[in-house]
Amino acid sequence: MSLLAPLMLLGLLGLALPLLAHLRGKEQPRKLAFAALRFLAPRDVVITQRRRLRDRVLLALRLGLLALLILALTRPVSVGDARVAVLGEAHDAVLLLDASFSMGLQVDGHSLRAASDDAAAAILEALPAGSRVGLLTTDPGGPRLELSADPDRVREAVAHWASEPAGAGAWTLESGLPGALALLRQAGEGPQRQVVYAIGDFTARGLGSLPTTAAPEVPVVPVAAAGSLTAPPPVPEHMSLESVAWSPARELDPQAVHISGEVRRHGPADGLVRRIVLVLRIADEPAARAEIDVPAAGLASFEFTHTIAAAGPTAASVEIAELDNDPLPGDEVRHLWLAGEDSIHVALVNGDPSEMRAHDEVFFLATALAASGSARRLRVHSLAPDQLEARLRGEDRLADVDVLVLANVRAPADDIAAALRERVAAGMGLWISVGDRVDARSYNARLGPLLPLLLREPLVVGTAPGRTEARTEAVAPPNLAHPILLGLQGELGLLGTRTRRIFLLEPDASRNAEVALSFTSGAPALLSRPYERGRVALLTTSIDRDWSDLPLRPGFVPLAERVLAWLDTGHPGGAATTILAGEPRFIPTDRPISVLTPDGHERVLPPEREGQAVFKDTLVPGHYRVTRPSGEPLTFAVQRDPAESDTTMVPVRPPTLDGDQVLAAAQHPRWRPLVLLAALLLLLETLLRLRRASPR
Amino acid sequence: MSQDPAQALAAVVPPELRDLLRGRQLVLARPVGGPHAGRHTGVRAGLGDQFRGHRPYSPGDDPRRIDWRAVARRDRLVLRQTDAEDALSLVLLVDAGGGMSYGTGSSNKLRHASALAGALAHLALRQGDSLGFGLGRAGELELAQLRPRAGASRLAALAHALTREPTGICPWPDLVAAIAPSLPRRSLVLLLSDLLDPDPNKPDADELLLRNLAALRSRGHDVVLVQVLHRDELEFPWTERGMLRFEDPRGAREPLEGHAPGLRADYLERLHAHLAGLDRGCADAGLHLHRSVSDEPLTGALLALLARLAGHPEPAPLTLEARR
Repeated sequence: MSLLAPLMLLGLLGLALPLLAHLRGKEQPRKLAFAALRFLAPRDVVITQRRRLRDRVLLALRLGLLALLILALTRPVSVGDARVAVLGEAHDAVLLLDASFSMGLQVDGHSLRAASDDAAAAILEALPAGSRVGLLTTDPGGPRLELSADPDRVREAVAHWASEPAGAGAWTLESGLPGALALLRQAGEGPQRQVVYAIGDFTARGLGSLPTTAAPEVPVVPVAAAGSLTAPPPVPEHMSLESVAWSPARELDPQAVHISGEVRRHGPADGLVRRIVLVLRIADEPAARAEIDVPAAGLASFEFTHTIAAAGPTAASVEIAELDNDPLPGDEVRHLWLAGEDSIHVALVNGDPSEMRAHDEVFFLATALAASGSARRLRVHSLAPDQLEARLRGEDRLADVDVLVLANVRAPADDIAAALRERVAAGMGLWISVGDRVDARSYNARLGPLLPLLLREPLVVGTAPGRTEARTEAVAPPNLAHPILLGLQGELGLLGTRTRRIFLLEPDASRNAEVALSFTSGAPALLSRPYERGRVALLTTSIDRDWSDLPLRPGFVPLAERVLAWLDTGHPGGAATTILAGEPRFIPTDRPISVLTPDGHERVLPPEREGQAVFKDTLVPGHYRVTRPSGEPLTFAVQRDPAESDTTMVPVRPPTLDGDQVLAAAQHPRWRPLVLLAALLLLLETLLRLRRASPR
Repeated sequence: MSQDPAQALAAVVPPELRDLLRGRQLVLARPVGGPHAGRHTGVRAGLGDQFRGHRPYSPGDDPRRIDWRAVARRDRLVLRQTDAEDALSLVLLVDAGGGMSYGTGSSNKLRHASALAGALAHLALRQGDSLGFGLGRAGELELAQLRPRAGASRLAALAHALTREPTGICPWPDLVAAIAPSLPRRSLVLLLSDLLDPDPNKPDADELLLRNLAALRSRGHDVVLVQVLHRDELEFPWTERGMLRFEDPRGAREPLEGHAPGLRADYLERLHAHLAGLDRGCADAGLHLHRSVSDEPLTGALLALLARLAGHPEPAPLTLEARR
């Protein structure tokens, strides 16, 4: 604690004033007109000037009030322990704050989010005169202040933001850099240098995710929310529920399910095994309880078996019970919906079967779907082309199939194509992947109305005019605005894809095709199109390794899941869908819907494009219920991203700032409580004075 | 001020007291001696209903008044005599000095005294008695209406005089001395005042007033003192620790400052002595003293006063001990 204006302490001499006034003050008598005055006679001389302290309480109140005001005028401040390197010349700066869930970690009794206030105050105090500063958080819904020369507005915004609890959002600190750059660009290119001060924790998704520069000539200065880069704070141990999933247990009962998952113990690797209690809740009522031992810095698995009693989706949750004072509260519980029958029936039509599994057309797709970790249930089975024809000519007409995949299948006969068109129009999804057996003319003739774009011809990469050098095509950065890829981030693990043959398409703007993936040449790789109530996706290369190594890429599994989920309009999302906090939920509908959130709010959403509504307000983990005017109700659960529970510290490189640097620490004003206390004393003094002065 | 008796009465007498006056009469214990016939028993024989005695027959007496039964018993002619019934000459003397201004609302002393005076005047005038009144205000004597007369105009004049703002002192010894020569025979003189400080300018005002009143009494007038006091004057209720400044509402005495707890005991002692001295002085001089506290109901106060005038026993003396 230090005083910014210590000379004001001389004002304490003024405390003598009320004392003197109290002693020298002359009491004003109350006047009374009294007819029997002749009978009044004082025995002693009446002394109206006080010679001793009469009202000690009142005097003490007044003295205390004056002393508090004087102390407040000395402007006492406390110095924080966050030391920050700040550019020593006037510059444009953006404070980028980590708003992710991991910032809720309690260190020394305060959350990292609350400690961000100290770090931000240190930077703002140390900014040289003439600097401009703006504010941004990684939370898209968080505060955003454009650059200005007034650091107080940033200080107030940070203080308000830091006083709120950390949400469930999962954002890397790096993801805020484009926004910070945009703020700097918006302020205009000037002679001043530009710096981004990023405040976060020492995790891989926090300070560990930061590059050294946000753009050329725009360095990124990592700032520890608590401690400093050279002296990071100790990370306390905490528990998190890493994952929860369920699967049918029909060998036990048609309605039985297995609910399994893992508990992770974060923190130092040393220490004893710790026993914890897990509770399974069904419809908010405890249904089962288990105890497991969790090793230090390790994982422990658990499994419950439960028989669903109620029809329809059942709200369930698993939580770590009796876990008091966990430093990172909130990740001890995971919610999910249990549904006995909730699956997408996918029929794979193998146009190029092979006895060698690696050469089979649908081997990679079937393997990817079987390895899918999604909570969605996929019932996949393969069909030979003749079986497909038989089914379509039969009575059921693929009535139980939600998504049909035509993998390198020859163009079907006219009646089969018509039946396919009819089924897609009725809501079935259709995914067409090409190959050697696909003939453009036949496909265009029979399935042309379904295709996103008409097929032109297959092309061997490198044989086109001007493209003789490269023998393979790579995949360009994905179109993340496409409904199939909405909510995903990054390059999806597909950029290294090498494709040797692709199918060229006929441009046709009237078909409203949307491209989700393109090759680097610009040719579409994956495109889609709605067809009446159904949807169609077209992959312009093979889904096996004949034309491309796409199936070998790590992004192939989530891509296949996404494509199938988007094509599935018959089962709109599934009752047991689980998404991560912050991810959008796509809900097929052609009329407004209402979504009931776990905290009891009801949000009404109009449908957007392609007959679906996009619900983005998913930052509250829990059970969500969707009511649609047409169609059955939907449910989905939101869980925290387990990556945000990982508080493992990563090394963070110190900032590289050219030029002078200032090491600063925040000074926190502490006079506000004094002023509040003085106001309270003033109120008490007034009440006491009124009470004494009131007539009987 | 209106000349209408009802309106004049309403100016000083509150409604509950006016209701009480209906059908009620002013009855006196002692005989009166007015020049006009009235409803009160006179001191001489006359044409009344009340038997007075017998006297021997003299030639010229009306033979119809011979009491033949008494003649048979006494064997000589005697006449039957009855008391005359005369009208009363009521003279009200009201203290309109500033000392009577104490109290708020219905507990105001002058208001209390005015209500009693108005009620008595109404009763007297209604039964044919004569009314005269005088006031002392601002050191002056107002005696224009002193000569008793019957008629409603007197009531209106009284109401007009009583509704004026009290101020200054009422010089009681001078007032009593001034009216003495002008009073008709055997008048009923009724004083309404707090009698706390009869004349601040005269050190022996208490004794002088009693002497003057005794002189009135010796002339055959009936004198009744109605002492109207406020409860604060009787109990000195202030207990606060703060300083009080007592000022004389008449402006005749110097203000005094002090703390109430230190003044109270002395004050009560002196007041008690003054009231006791007044009691003794009235008893010695044959005066009737009636006390009334201004915060008590007017109806009760009037009934007590009427009872006192009718000769009912004197109530317990109004002292500090009795109030406690």
